Amino acid sequence: MKADKKDKRKIAFPMIAHYNDAVRYFIEQGLGQTYVMQPAMTRRTMALGEKLSPDMVCTPFKTILGSMIEALEAGAEVLIMTMGYCRLGYYGELAESILREQGYDFDYVNFAEYTTGRPKDYLKAVKAICPHVRPAKAMGALRAALDMVKYIDEVECQYYMNCGFETEPGSFKAALKRFYRDMRTAKTRRDIEAGYENCLQTFERLPIDKGPNALKVGLIGEYFTVMDAFSNLDLEQALADMGVEVHRWMNVSHRNLDYPGEKNLHVRIKEYCRYEMGPTSTANIWKAKKYAEDGFDGIIHAKSAGCTPEIEIMPVIRNISEDYKIPVLFLTYDTQTATAGLMTRLEAFYDMIAMRKKVIQ
Amino acid sequence: MEARSKLTVGLPRALLYHRYAVLWRTYFDALGIDTVVSGETNRAVAEKGLAAASDEMCLSLKVYLGHVEALIGRCDRIFIPRIVDFGIRRVMCTTFEGLPDIAANIFRDRHIDILSCNISVQGGIDEKDGMIQMGTDLGYSKKAAKRAYKRALAAQRAADEAAAAAADQLYKSDGLKIAVGAHPYVMDDDYYGRPVLDYLSEMGVTAIPAYAVDRREARKVTKRLSPTMKWEVSREIAGSLAMHLDDVDGIILMSVYPCALDSMVNDMLVRKFRDSGVPIVNLTMDAQSGTAGLETRLESFIDILSMRRTGKAAKG
Repeated sequence: MKADKKDKRKIAFPMIAHYNDAVRYFIEQGLGQTYVMQPAMTRRTMALGEKLSPDMVCTPFKTILGSMIEALEAGAEVLIMTMGYCRLGYYGELAESILREQGYDFDYVNFAEYTTGRPKDYLKAVKAICPHVRPAKAMGALRAALDMVKYIDEVECQYYMNCGFETEPGSFKAALKRFYRDMRTAKTRRDIEAGYENCLQTFERLPIDKGPNALKVGLIGEYFTVMDAFSNLDLEQALADMGVEVHRWMNVSHRNLDYPGEKNLHVRIKEYCRYEMGPTSTANIWKAKKYAEDGFDGIIHAKSAGCTPEIEIMPVIRNISEDYKIPVLFLTYDTQTATAGLMTRLEAFYDMIAMRKKVIQ
Repeated sequence: MEARSKLTVGLPRALLYHRYAVLWRTYFDALGIDTVVSGETNRAVAEKGLAAASDEMCLSLKVYLGHVEALIGRCDRIFIPRIVDFGIRRVMCTTFEGLPDIAANIFRDRHIDILSCNISVQGGIDEKDGMIQMGTDLGYSKKAAKRAYKRALAAQRAADEAAAAAADQLYKSDGLKIAVGAHPYVMDDDYYGRPVLDYLSEMGVTAIPAYAVDRREARKVTKRLSPTMKWEVSREIAGSLAMHLDDVDGIILMSVYPCALDSMVNDMLVRKFRDSGVPIVNLTMDAQSGTAGLETRLESFIDILSMRRTGKAAKG
């Protein structure tokens, strides 16, 4: 083991949205190790992953594999991989097998191996990352890291609801970038809080011109693709740039941190489903219905190619669309999906909902 | 009693029917409920399914929906269970979790009456509880439902054991032997899987279904082979293939497009079995090609296996 007390291990995690900064915070401040941040994902990341992945696997596997390779290239010695419902729970083992076959040398902590039904056993995974973990320090950092996750989600939520209506071009983006930078460099809980407060205050100060009839679109879909701007080709920004108020419920705060508090969610969709259909299905169906009830102008359902649970709720979403007369755009992302094709579909969707709104009024 | 005895339940001959036919039919039979099973998959059934389904759904689900449609008007209720898991790392494909609601939403305008039962060990309801619950929901006494389940379980176990024993005999037979790693609903589908098996048989090859195995033993083997593999049927198939590497000349991994589980599991199996030297071929069926074009690949695969066998015999 390279984990001598003085000898810091270089640890990395596959890239997902902007959450890696929270992982970094926990690894560095909680476990006292070094976190290796791979470069932001690019077409190269996708190409690296695609080359080594099975053809039919869902797209996030390919991007995650690519970002693992980029982390190793950046000097990581230890890779951490998450457990998960659906195929995500098997990502870790297959990715390791592929990387080892390619000759990469690394230590691997796959949380899926620690799935026993007792959440406490995941602590063993933390010990595998860092045998000399100091529980109090680690817990404190974990709480701060989870707060960072919530702040990231809140800030992004505010951002995409408002940035399309800014009157000073680029003002929202500048504030968001500054927030990301603050999270990236935060060394204490106070740094995290200050960055968050600062960003929200800036957002409040920035002038916007929304008018009474702004178009509102709700985004639903597959966990990874709908949250990760690289994977969805910056879908939210593209919509916002057209002058749309963009809402997205699906994020780590809502689906993971606060989700156990969402009691009896399936009761809210009982006219459509007798049971839960999959790990994110109930939430997506509920939100689609909620967006419809709340008078949104359209819904966009985004998923990676081959995402079984999301493919299987499409008939339900279609029924909601029919019942509430709300347009739905279904987007499927694979490694070949390109911005030009996406923009054509988005513009057509925008024109349609904008025209409907005029007619209805 | 009068009204009850008139109930006819329809069973789609697709997906998990190919695994649980005996269990389900014996259960309904023991309760005095009539059952009607949809016919074999053919082009018409498949096309109906393709039309009803979403484009991106897997072929087996599309076929299933064709069978559901074929039962509309032929029974009072259609039996579509929800089967989520049998414990940690013993989960089913998400499709079986959503199946009743998928069908209900797709055929919403046809007003089908779906009879379901809910099985999710991690959710606190196992197969026994789920099936007894269904019986009491249908108005039978708990005792009657229990008895029906007990009888059904015994019959299904006997059938599974017989299938495993028959497979064991096949592994010992002479001639070219190929283990087929495929979900029962792929391999035993009359329109998509069956022609492949028929072709193998024409070529004088003994095809052995990997799923016919001592399931508990196979799952144990998979735990060593691939510790985080978590899908119940995949684990049985993977373990079975690993147990019989020395008994067969080759392996066919047969899958439908796009199977979520096989997309990862089959890739892993090819890696794991590489050192064994047993030749493996991947066959993926989609709605358009069906089995056309597969024959050429099968023929050359069989040629390779025959040559290897002759080579081995010459060396030995």
